[in-house]
Amino acid sequence: MRIFVTGIGIISALGNNAQQNRSSLSSGKSGISSLEMLSSRYASIMPFGEVKISTDDLIKKMDARESGVTRTDLLALHAFNEAVNNSRLTPAQLSDPNTALIGASTVGGMCLTDELFLDSTSREVGSPYLSSYDCASPVMYLQKRFSIGGVINSINTACSSSANAIMYGARLIKQGKAKRAIVGGTDSLAKFTINGFNSLLILSDAPCQPFDEARRGLNLGEGAAFLVLEAEEDVKDKNCYAELTGYSNTNDAFHPSSLSDNGDGPFLSMQGALRTAGLETSQIDFINAHGTGTENNDLVESRAMINLFTTPPPFVSTKAYTGHTLGAAGAIEAVFSIFSLVNDEIYPAVNFEHAIADTGLVPAKKFEKKRISHVMSNSFGFGGNCTSLILSKV
Amino acid sequence: MFYIYKTSCISPQSSYGSPALSELVASAGNKLMAQEPVYSGIPPGILRRMGKAVRIGIGAALPLIADKQETQGIIIGTANGGMEDCIKFLNQIIEYDEGKLTPTNFVQSTPNAIAGQLGLMQSNKGYNITHSNRGLSFENALMDVDMLLAENKNAKYLVGAVDEISAYNFRIEWLGGWYKSEDSSNLNLFENESDGSIAGEGAAMFLAGNEKQGSICRLTDIHFFQTDSAGVVKEALTKFLAKHLPSGKSPDLFMSGENGDRRMQKYYEACTGSLAANTPVLSFKQMCGEYPTASSFGAWAACEILRTQEIPMHMLRTSSSTSNTPISSIFIYNTYKGNQHSFMLLEK
Repeated sequence: MRIFVTGIGIISALGNNAQQNRSSLSSGKSGISSLEMLSSRYASIMPFGEVKISTDDLIKKMDARESGVTRTDLLALHAFNEAVNNSRLTPAQLSDPNTALIGASTVGGMCLTDELFLDSTSREVGSPYLSSYDCASPVMYLQKRFSIGGVINSINTACSSSANAIMYGARLIKQGKAKRAIVGGTDSLAKFTINGFNSLLILSDAPCQPFDEARRGLNLGEGAAFLVLEAEEDVKDKNCYAELTGYSNTNDAFHPSSLSDNGDGPFLSMQGALRTAGLETSQIDFINAHGTGTENNDLVESRAMINLFTTPPPFVSTKAYTGHTLGAAGAIEAVFSIFSLVNDEIYPAVNFEHAIADTGLVPAKKFEKKRISHVMSNSFGFGGNCTSLILSKV
Repeated sequence: MFYIYKTSCISPQSSYGSPALSELVASAGNKLMAQEPVYSGIPPGILRRMGKAVRIGIGAALPLIADKQETQGIIIGTANGGMEDCIKFLNQIIEYDEGKLTPTNFVQSTPNAIAGQLGLMQSNKGYNITHSNRGLSFENALMDVDMLLAENKNAKYLVGAVDEISAYNFRIEWLGGWYKSEDSSNLNLFENESDGSIAGEGAAMFLAGNEKQGSICRLTDIHFFQTDSAGVVKEALTKFLAKHLPSGKSPDLFMSGENGDRRMQKYYEACTGSLAANTPVLSFKQMCGEYPTASSFGAWAACEILRTQEIPMHMLRTSSSTSNTPISSIFIYNTYKGNQHSFMLLEK
């Protein structure tokens, strides 16, 4: 059974919808900037990939006045609305028992770090956010708002979470457990994650430089993306953006927060995705790499790409545009991969100067129009969780 | 549909190793805390850094993964993972005003730390995932395994669920009105007609595959959904049972997830009302307490009953005698907070 993407929705530091995101990527314009919406002592020290709409404006814009709604929920709602409208899903289709919603978030309502601290330690009367903190909250919020009737799930495999949400949705459809699946992820910037990644000494105080010899770490970002997946026989006259042909989930089984020297997990997930898609390495035209900009990831991912492809195809890490959006990254980058397929174009690496000496790999350096038939998108996370997806031209 | 070969459980009861369930271990302070074993299979250096959720998750899984070749993947359901570590890290952020912090709590707090650590300890480079959908995290893990076994006929998978009580999530749930405000005990959980339940925690693990041989039982089907309506639950139940049982026949036992919260009673009554009147009703939350993946303890206890053909007396909620006929099917219904619902049918 073939699985098609019939709707996409995205909000990131590059813009509030698909068109704005693509336009920024095409012009090589990064969304990394200083923090304006969140107060943190790192606001003036480090750059971030922030969505430049306040939480209050998001509430007003979407009339999302339910009690306990968080920024993570709102980013999800924004991208969800665009994807669902784009695929022309009706309210009746949303509440149908054959419509699945598979989301992902690593921060959930913990974007309200201070509220969570007070509720969990000293308050006598709880805040409105008591049931909004866990990472299932964004999915539960969307389920309730739209009465979504099918399988509901939230996946948490750290930074590969939403790539796994996409994979799970596709498998549900293939096994007849859903006719359509709305799949994606959301995360907002939070003191929790900023301090977490900072304590691991992997945040860069300058705009990140994925795959550069001089890379100094990652920039955190926020955003959300959702895709509507449907089986071939249900697509009918709908516009299909892409076919989801390949996916694979593996584990690096090496360390809780870093990848093995040779990148067994990344190698196996890329290889597994090719196998599911029935493709040869030579058929991949472009790779949206995980490319966080950390010392460890970029070296290991490069080695794994060389081990698998010998000469890897053009690749880029769009995290230099959006920052690392954690649980949203896999879905955001799947949408970027779809832009490449639909428009036959590849987006240039920003902030790249010198190849990593050990591998010599150079990412795509300029915007280029060329025929793109198959794009691979990589997502790797803490816990050794590696997932690769392949999206193909329809 | 798939088969279950081995199970393992760390819970507030004597469930680990050789389970002894006839005596109900009492709660303290409205909490049922897990009885942790000596973790001889975990290297001390690693054990020291583990939070409780990771520790009980790994500890429960160890007996099932002693043979490294046996499983092709690890599928875990957990609503919160290492909640204690999460809030400890949060405390550091506040206390040191976002200063220099140590990363251990941060790394241990991610819900996927349990499945990740299991993959690492087992050198298992296969499928590895963590489902975190609050009260349906375990159910999604089971559905995932069901799909994996349809995709890979000869494979075996480790599937399970973990959640812990920390002082912090206890407080948040207590503020939310989900735990009883009066001093309560699991020994008479169903006697106080008040709001809320008592807190629980635990880890239950299962080895799953397609081969019938060597199995304890099979998970015939799982179904889960969202609703606030007891009527919708009743309708779904009728449909679910009709799909699997001959017309008019009820499962041998009904295992109910009732938790002493009077607001949840209408959902469980919708189920008992749909089953044959003489179907024996069992409860399990007096053993494990309430937590988002408590249904995994229910599934573990059902496997134990099917394996041993013995029912601990404290589980029986009805006086209907369990005659000497063998127990071959157990139906489990559970709701988390009255909006997430699941059905499981386990058969010998």
